[in-house]
Amino acid sequence: MRAFLRRPIVRRFFMIGAAMAALEVMTGPPGSTEAPTAGFAGSFTQPSPFFGLFSTVRWVVFLFLAVVIWAIVTLWSIQGAAIKRSVTTVTAVPRAATQRKSVRRGLGVVLLIVALILPHVITDPFWQAAMVEQIAVYVLLAMGLNVVVGFAGLLDLGFVAFYAIGAYTTAWVTGALPTPPLFGVDLNPFFAIPIAIAIAMLSGVLLGAPTLRLRGDYLAIVTLGFGEIITIFANNLYGITGGSQGTGVIPHPSIDLGPLHYVWGLTPVPYYYLTIVFVVIFLIAFSLLEHSRVGRAWTAIREDEVAAESVGINPLKYKVMAFAIGASTAGFAGVVTASQSNNIFPSSFTLFFSINILVLVIFGGMGSIAGVVLGAVLIQTVSMYLLHSPPAGYQSADLYIYLGALLILMMIFRPVGVLPSRRRKREIGLAESGEGHMDEVLTGDTP
Amino acid sequence: MSENIFEVRNVTLRFGGVVSLNDVSLEMRRGEILAVIGPNGAGKTSLFNSLTGVYQPQEGSITFTGRDGKALSIIGQKAHRVANAGVARTFQASRMFSALTAFENVKIGAESHRGIGVLGAMVRGPRTRRGEKDSDALTIELLDFVGLRAKANVISASLSYGDRRRLEIARGLATNPQVLLLDEPAAGTNPAEKIELTELIRKVRDVRGVSILLIEHDMKLVMALAERLYVLNFGSVIAQGTPDEIRANDAVIEAYLGSAATAEEK
Repeated sequence: MRAFLRRPIVRRFFMIGAAMAALEVMTGPPGSTEAPTAGFAGSFTQPSPFFGLFSTVRWVVFLFLAVVIWAIVTLWSIQGAAIKRSVTTVTAVPRAATQRKSVRRGLGVVLLIVALILPHVITDPFWQAAMVEQIAVYVLLAMGLNVVVGFAGLLDLGFVAFYAIGAYTTAWVTGALPTPPLFGVDLNPFFAIPIAIAIAMLSGVLLGAPTLRLRGDYLAIVTLGFGEIITIFANNLYGITGGSQGTGVIPHPSIDLGPLHYVWGLTPVPYYYLTIVFVVIFLIAFSLLEHSRVGRAWTAIREDEVAAESVGINPLKYKVMAFAIGASTAGFAGVVTASQSNNIFPSSFTLFFSINILVLVIFGGMGSIAGVVLGAVLIQTVSMYLLHSPPAGYQSADLYIYLGALLILMMIFRPVGVLPSRRRKREIGLAESGEGHMDEVLTGDTP
Repeated sequence: MSENIFEVRNVTLRFGGVVSLNDVSLEMRRGEILAVIGPNGAGKTSLFNSLTGVYQPQEGSITFTGRDGKALSIIGQKAHRVANAGVARTFQASRMFSALTAFENVKIGAESHRGIGVLGAMVRGPRTRRGEKDSDALTIELLDFVGLRAKANVISASLSYGDRRRLEIARGLATNPQVLLLDEPAAGTNPAEKIELTELIRKVRDVRGVSILLIEHDMKLVMALAERLYVLNFGSVIAQGTPDEIRANDAVIEAYLGSAATAEEK
């Protein structure tokens, strides 16, 4: 009996069951002062429809869900075991690699075409707006954070700061702030792109140069603080940023070159295409970067900083570089958001935002560009769906409960993410089998 | 005279109250194979870490003189600066980039001393492409040199101990060093691998002209390879000389060889 209970497959079932029970209580009816336990009991015994098919009580529905999740996870972990095996005897055959590459390229082109057609298929204005504001922009942000967290292995909890800097820079140069614009005249938001990228990058370097000497937890706390500082600045520097009232009207970008004349207006679709163009540019640039000497140096630092230094790699320089690249991507995303939504408020740049982006990266697979893009699209689509047609009793703040639960489940069952990068997959496989210095780098125990 | 590649003068390294190196002085000549021996805890690895900028001794001076005659004071330099100046090393427990292939490991060494060029890397410009080509060529040459060419695409974590040592040597050589510091290269290798390793180390010096500084417990290997030796005990140099002189030195026999020799005969 005891041996049976100890089998991983059985233990997993009980863990998922416990998680589902917790979820039942979280989503169940509230108790009252007269009957404090009524909510708890009601969470299990209240009648509930079984996915609209027939009516039953809540615990049956949740038990069903637990079984489904358990089955999926079990299948998944069989695949995970295969990953671990691959660690011991990997030999990359060059021809297979090139084949994989062309398959991946073909798939990328197909997905790009789908992305380009999508706004013509989905005409619901809510979804068209969501595709720009909540999906395409988040893809950009996740790609930027992936450089910091995935490539360089630095935990940044204040990523929102650079996004805010990009957005407020746009407001500044276009003359939407109480303070006079940067060049004295109100510029087209297109000119804000290089300026915002430069300022975000500069702030990334300024924050990174002194703090990237710190490791692991310490860096996370400093970046967390930086994110908060920027939000508080935006809120309190009333005379400069407009405070909690937000900025004035930020103009839409426009092209005005003789016969070529186009104004991005209120409709989201043109913004969608504009963002897609930049997503593709960043995508290509970052994947070239990953497979360049810079990407290899990041991997070396992530795996063994002492050994990396012994071959002449300056860890601080490369870390600052990752920080600056991540920051400039976020800065660019800030420009898109600011010019598309017309005005910005400090309340949109919260800690939750940083965590949200981090969840996208971890869920998709740290260090894997394709994974991160997929993660961002999936999670943001689901969270938008929940906002658009919420199930009974769902409130928008509940999203974070689900994101938190998702993160915990990912950490337990698939720490490499949905679509992991090959390097990361091997690293985690090696760390689990006690090889390599990955764990030391994370905990900062390297001598 | 700059015939000396390393000049260590009265170096003292302390960790709190523990004296790890006590007034150590030594010279290493360009082109020689020099060994540092001594019992466990004698300060051999501390000396290595001081020579490569990982530890910062409190007293004394360490001067590295490159082929161009430029002298560099090691104390106070960061480890990556020392590496770029021409000092390569391997580690006691070999430290590979375990999740990368043998090829990638060496290539990281080959390209680390070039300029960075992020923008070039992002658009894969002509300079980046040329750099990649050069690094690839050097990497293949070095894998060939250490005899790992057939295993270029193997993940380094799945290599044998002996192969990892070779790979570490190749990675170190890829940085175009003038001196290679080997920290117990024979640890964990079998007798056949030991013989191959001895040949490889000698080949590194003879063919590539890289001076070798060696820490080793295996007396057979040391006596076969080294042209000169320093003996450390409790952080101090107790003897120096040729292998024959060391063998005959009473202080060394008492401190080290006596116990080690009996241990080896078992």
